[in-house]
Amino acid sequence: MSHAPGVVVPSYPTQSPALLGAKCGVCGMVVFPKMPVCPACGRNGVMQDIEIGRKGRLFSHTIARFAPKGFKAPYFQAFVDLDEGPRIFTLIGGECAVEDGVLEDGMDMKIVVEPLADTPENKNILTYKYVPIRGGSGHA
Amino acid sequence: MREVAIIGVGAHATGQFTDKPLKDIAYLAIWNSLDDAGVKPEDVQVAYVGNSLGGLLTGQEGVRGQVLLQHSGITGIPIINVENACASAATALRGAWLEVASGAADLAIAVGAEKMYVGDSARTVGALSAVSELDLSQMGMQFTTSYAIHPKINLKARMKEYGWTIEDFAKPAVKNSANGALNPLAQHRRPLSIEQVVQSRVVVDPLTLYMCSSISDGAAAAVVCSLDTAKKFAGKKPIRIASCTLRSGVYKLPNDERLDTATTTAQAAYEEAGIGPDDLQAIELHDAMAPAELMLYERLGLCDAGDGPKLIDDGITTLRGRVPVNPSGGLCSRGHPVGATGLLQIAELVWQMRGEAGERQIEKRPKVTMAQNQGGLLLGQDSAVYCCTILKS
Repeated sequence: MSHAPGVVVPSYPTQSPALLGAKCGVCGMVVFPKMPVCPACGRNGVMQDIEIGRKGRLFSHTIARFAPKGFKAPYFQAFVDLDEGPRIFTLIGGECAVEDGVLEDGMDMKIVVEPLADTPENKNILTYKYVPIRGGSGHA
Repeated sequence: MREVAIIGVGAHATGQFTDKPLKDIAYLAIWNSLDDAGVKPEDVQVAYVGNSLGGLLTGQEGVRGQVLLQHSGITGIPIINVENACASAATALRGAWLEVASGAADLAIAVGAEKMYVGDSARTVGALSAVSELDLSQMGMQFTTSYAIHPKINLKARMKEYGWTIEDFAKPAVKNSANGALNPLAQHRRPLSIEQVVQSRVVVDPLTLYMCSSISDGAAAAVVCSLDTAKKFAGKKPIRIASCTLRSGVYKLPNDERLDTATTTAQAAYEEAGIGPDDLQAIELHDAMAPAELMLYERLGLCDAGDGPKLIDDGITTLRGRVPVNPSGGLCSRGHPVGATGLLQIAELVWQMRGEAGERQIEKRPKVTMAQNQGGLLLGQDSAVYCCTILKS
């Protein structure tokens, strides 16, 4: 098993995984993945590591009916607005049936860590995905 | 800066040419452009060669430009390789234009060539994904998806925001397929109906197969020289490059109110050419997914937000309209061999401006035209490359 870059997998099962982003110490811009230069204020040397992305909100989603090598169609593709600011591309966790009506833009989402895809190429790569938070918003 | 003119264009048909190597596809476009300009290989002082996927798909990772041009009899001169995703060819033209505009060279050639049929479409789709930043492509992001839900365009959200229907999405594909049917160089020459487009299979909801450009082989080339020296070469009316504006994507957070880069690129091109969108008489634009044309109408300043489908309903952007868009058939019909597309657009506009476009000739020969080409995807919600080129005759 290997981890996709940027995923923080907790050492204790009670902790939630997270993404390793960066925050500008001057203007407060938060980015994922990490960058050494702040894309908002342009300053160098002020970006600090920060764990982000435990929760967010679904910005957009679709079902891809064809897949590139290493992935299996149909599969959800989505953008999630993280609570800390970044809007990131993500796949959706395997607990969601890949059907119309399962996801709705604006839903509260949480991070999960799963194999990238159930294919020989990607089954051993652990990465982040998002799933809806069931039963109440749970959103900060 | 000196005035620069296009004095010759050439193209290889787009489509599937599985057994034809990239260098033979490029050869035809190169020599068609030389013959069209009335120049010889030894007249060419510098070359810019656009190609995007050749490294991954043919295995020729390096010096593709030198390989293609030596095969066509152009050697010894400076040859610059250009990889800028689906905007590689427009970027190559910009390089050739700058060489001549700056006075560094008097005559230059821009070439765009691509070979996407390699007998394994999964490999081609994989190579296409690789023109997005790796952090996106390795997560399973696809280009079709990017048009459907990516924040920079988000066609799915436009259905809610503007009330656009799936039939509206089909309209550009239908319009452009009618143009492509008249183009002997086009990949798909079948006029499509709204029903056929809507009912073709879903690729990425809400985009259907006939709304998507397909895998394609093809090439195009343009010979440029200073307007002063243009007279020296045989015959055809020089077409002036009024502006050739290249921009890269910017990193944006949600709710960033800066204008999108497609818009700012077009605005800069208009300003440099001293014209506005109302002055355009023909446009070739980057409809890699047909409904993107509706959004590009807004971003190029042709209509207000949400009014895209009306331009087609009212016949304004059809072949007989006030400003025909994608007279060649566009990326979905004419074809989208990615590293050649920008120059295929330029070749089409030059033919239209000279009155050489055959059955698809715009009745009133256009005098002011624009090609809009874009490509790649970056983290931070933007495409990687945008290019707008304005031509005047």
